[in-house]
Amino acid sequence: MTDALPAELLEIAEFLGASPPFNELGAEELRVAAGTLRIAYHPRGERFEQGAQPGGLRILRSGAVDIRDGEGALLDRLGEGESFHIDGLNAEQGGVTATVIEDALVYLLPDAEYRRLRKQRSVDRYFSGQRSRRLRRAARYEPQPHSMMREVHTVMARDLLTVSPMETVQVVAGVMTERRVSSAFVVEDGQLLGIVTDRDIRARYAAAGLDPATPVEGIMTPDPEAILGTDTLFSSMLLMTQRGYHHLPVMEDGKLAGIVTTSDLILARQDDPVYLVQHISRTESVDALAELLKGMPNLMVQWVSSGMRAQQVSRILTAISDAATVRLIQLAEARLGPAPVAYCWLGFGSQARGEQLLGADQDNGLLLSDEYSEEHADYFEALANFVCDGLDACGYDYCNGKVMASNPEWRVPLPTWLGYVDKWTRSPTPDAVMRVSIFFDLRGVHGDAAMAATLQAHMLERASSNSIFLAALAANALDASPPLGIFRRFVVDRDGEHRDRLDLKKRGILLATDTARLHALAHKVPAVNTDERLEALARGKHMAIGDSRNLADALRFMQQLRIRHQAAQVSRGDKPDNFLNPNDLPRLAREQLRDAFKILDDAQAALRQKYRAGLG
Amino acid sequence: MPASVELRRWRWKRRADDQLRAFWSKPLPSKRADWRELEFLALDAEMSSLDPDEGELLSLGWVLIRDGDIALDTACHLVIRPAQSVGQSATIHQLRDCEVAEGVDAEQALDSLLEAARGKVLVFHHAPLDLAYLDRLSMASHGAPLLQPHLCTLQMEKRLLERREQALKKGDLTLGACRRRYHLPDYHGHNALWDALATAELLLAQAAHRGRGARLTLRQLAG
Repeated sequence: MTDALPAELLEIAEFLGASPPFNELGAEELRVAAGTLRIAYHPRGERFEQGAQPGGLRILRSGAVDIRDGEGALLDRLGEGESFHIDGLNAEQGGVTATVIEDALVYLLPDAEYRRLRKQRSVDRYFSGQRSRRLRRAARYEPQPHSMMREVHTVMARDLLTVSPMETVQVVAGVMTERRVSSAFVVEDGQLLGIVTDRDIRARYAAAGLDPATPVEGIMTPDPEAILGTDTLFSSMLLMTQRGYHHLPVMEDGKLAGIVTTSDLILARQDDPVYLVQHISRTESVDALAELLKGMPNLMVQWVSSGMRAQQVSRILTAISDAATVRLIQLAEARLGPAPVAYCWLGFGSQARGEQLLGADQDNGLLLSDEYSEEHADYFEALANFVCDGLDACGYDYCNGKVMASNPEWRVPLPTWLGYVDKWTRSPTPDAVMRVSIFFDLRGVHGDAAMAATLQAHMLERASSNSIFLAALAANALDASPPLGIFRRFVVDRDGEHRDRLDLKKRGILLATDTARLHALAHKVPAVNTDERLEALARGKHMAIGDSRNLADALRFMQQLRIRHQAAQVSRGDKPDNFLNPNDLPRLAREQLRDAFKILDDAQAALRQKYRAGLG
Repeated sequence: MPASVELRRWRWKRRADDQLRAFWSKPLPSKRADWRELEFLALDAEMSSLDPDEGELLSLGWVLIRDGDIALDTACHLVIRPAQSVGQSATIHQLRDCEVAEGVDAEQALDSLLEAARGKVLVFHHAPLDLAYLDRLSMASHGAPLLQPHLCTLQMEKRLLERREQALKKGDLTLGACRRRYHLPDYHGHNALWDALATAELLLAQAAHRGRGARLTLRQLAG
């Protein structure tokens, strides 16, 4: 029997030390803690409930576990290096269960040792504050996002045509035609007596050869079935298909308030982004495309209010701008003829990362094949101008820094692009470093993707092998810092119209994307999306799993705040921006924002340590 | 297993010394008991040759399984001082004379093992080799083989795959390959204790998948 872990098993202590909060413990303490562990194997499907024996903190060595609340809603999904204490979870909220979803090898820290470790402040802070856990829960919370779960009153028509029962069919038919509606309500003294529709007029009047002076009462459907304004679109659709109705009266507070028709329900599905992308690919002119994209801000509001998460929203917005770009290129080619040599249309920055939101400017370039020569210059200039002008017309403003294919500097053959990369990495002037943060996030949007891949591989090769370049990138990334003091002082950017407000993009989101980019370049990670970069970095052991997840959660949370803020601005008719006043946030969100900033601060400290150690 | 162990112990009883008889005095684990009620000692040895006539033990590692869990506070690793120089064969195990030199005698190591293994079911991955060494050592110092019930995770896995009529390829039954079938993490060649732990985890996985939460007797587990 031994107290501390034998040296031959030190890897277990190291594993423990890589998972928060055990990273706060010294090597000797870790070894003692690891020596008390018990190891258990739980096959997929096994469940832990309150009072599970033996009690203690369960740390996943491998496998995955879902944590669900009493109602079965998913609170958290845990993977390697993450831990849970089933009774601790139940202390907050009864009925929490943990279900193994992938065969799991579990290190159990028995309750006695768990309690002993919690006497250390840093460890206890983690478990009681559950900083990262709290953020993760907020970021992953997913209410019903399906548009069919929206309530009927959000789509019903309130402008109703009502007629009295004694009105003649002819008059009613005339008014319906004039108002271009397919139904009318028959009402007397505020009471709904019946409904008359196009079909009734056809079948019960015209086909029956009735007198035009027949009162409408004679052909109406009496006492129509009605639904409530708070019913879902789904249940009204169900009722309609089951009974063969095309019109349903909607009641609010016992009174007739509106009507929904089958076409309302079909229209309601058009906020489905798939429809939009499809429509984009069918537009025949820049004007038609611009018209279609005008609706995008409102669509985003709908997605946000139906509970879609920021990540999904920005993925979709990026897919839409990709589709618009591709369509504009196709329109240009229809006009100019097919391209004389192969090319690849490049998207940079947030478009490349799949992280676009409303109001993104364009950042693009053209990568031309080696076969390009002067004689092709006019063609590609015309193509680039058509697409960039088109994007501007569609609401993707020209780039202030002129990073656009219409700029001849960024419309060059592959060898010239490779030369740019060599120059920037060889002499990382401030200007070059700034360019890297745009150009090194790159994705082929249209054309020969292999060319874009070659350019990207070259970027990774040059960046990863050059520590001076990486140090310069780190200095740039450390230029801005998360405004941790904001919660005490509430003084933000002192200049300009946004005084007292916080630039969430500049002081938050970009710090996370910069950090992920720098690590990705240093370790030759080809992913471009920030979440994917962080995941790949953790998988490759270039970043501790805890750090990678924390940063991803912090980013997710800030994106969520930003997108809600922008949705609220759009609904008010304001232009969306990235400035928010922390005073306006609910208390919990403020706490969570502080947690996120703290994580960014930690990430920056790690960056400084790793890439600028000894450089000051 | 235990029945024949009993019989064999009876046959060796007169030749075994007091210490080994004391080791045997603890009742044998019941084959009808649920495996979680029993204690197992997962064990691995490193040796200087695959042939017990030529080689000798270099190190021993073990860890206890109790109440269905591995108890890390029972983990033990012993380096054994060689009677003869390690020679060339030990390079496979990356042990050098200077490291090996600071160990205990093989006899002392066996005594520690007898203490830890009393009343437990031994667990090996590929039992015949380890047992050959241990029995030889036990014969030399205590007059009889160990004669303790044991499980072999390799044998168990082999029978399982044969029952599923899976064609076995070379390498399918290594400790690493067996572990991967249960989604256990990859470990990379370490030391006797680490391999003993890897074997213990494999046993837990095999038991969990066979028992599916229900009662699973030692006999069922071994079969």
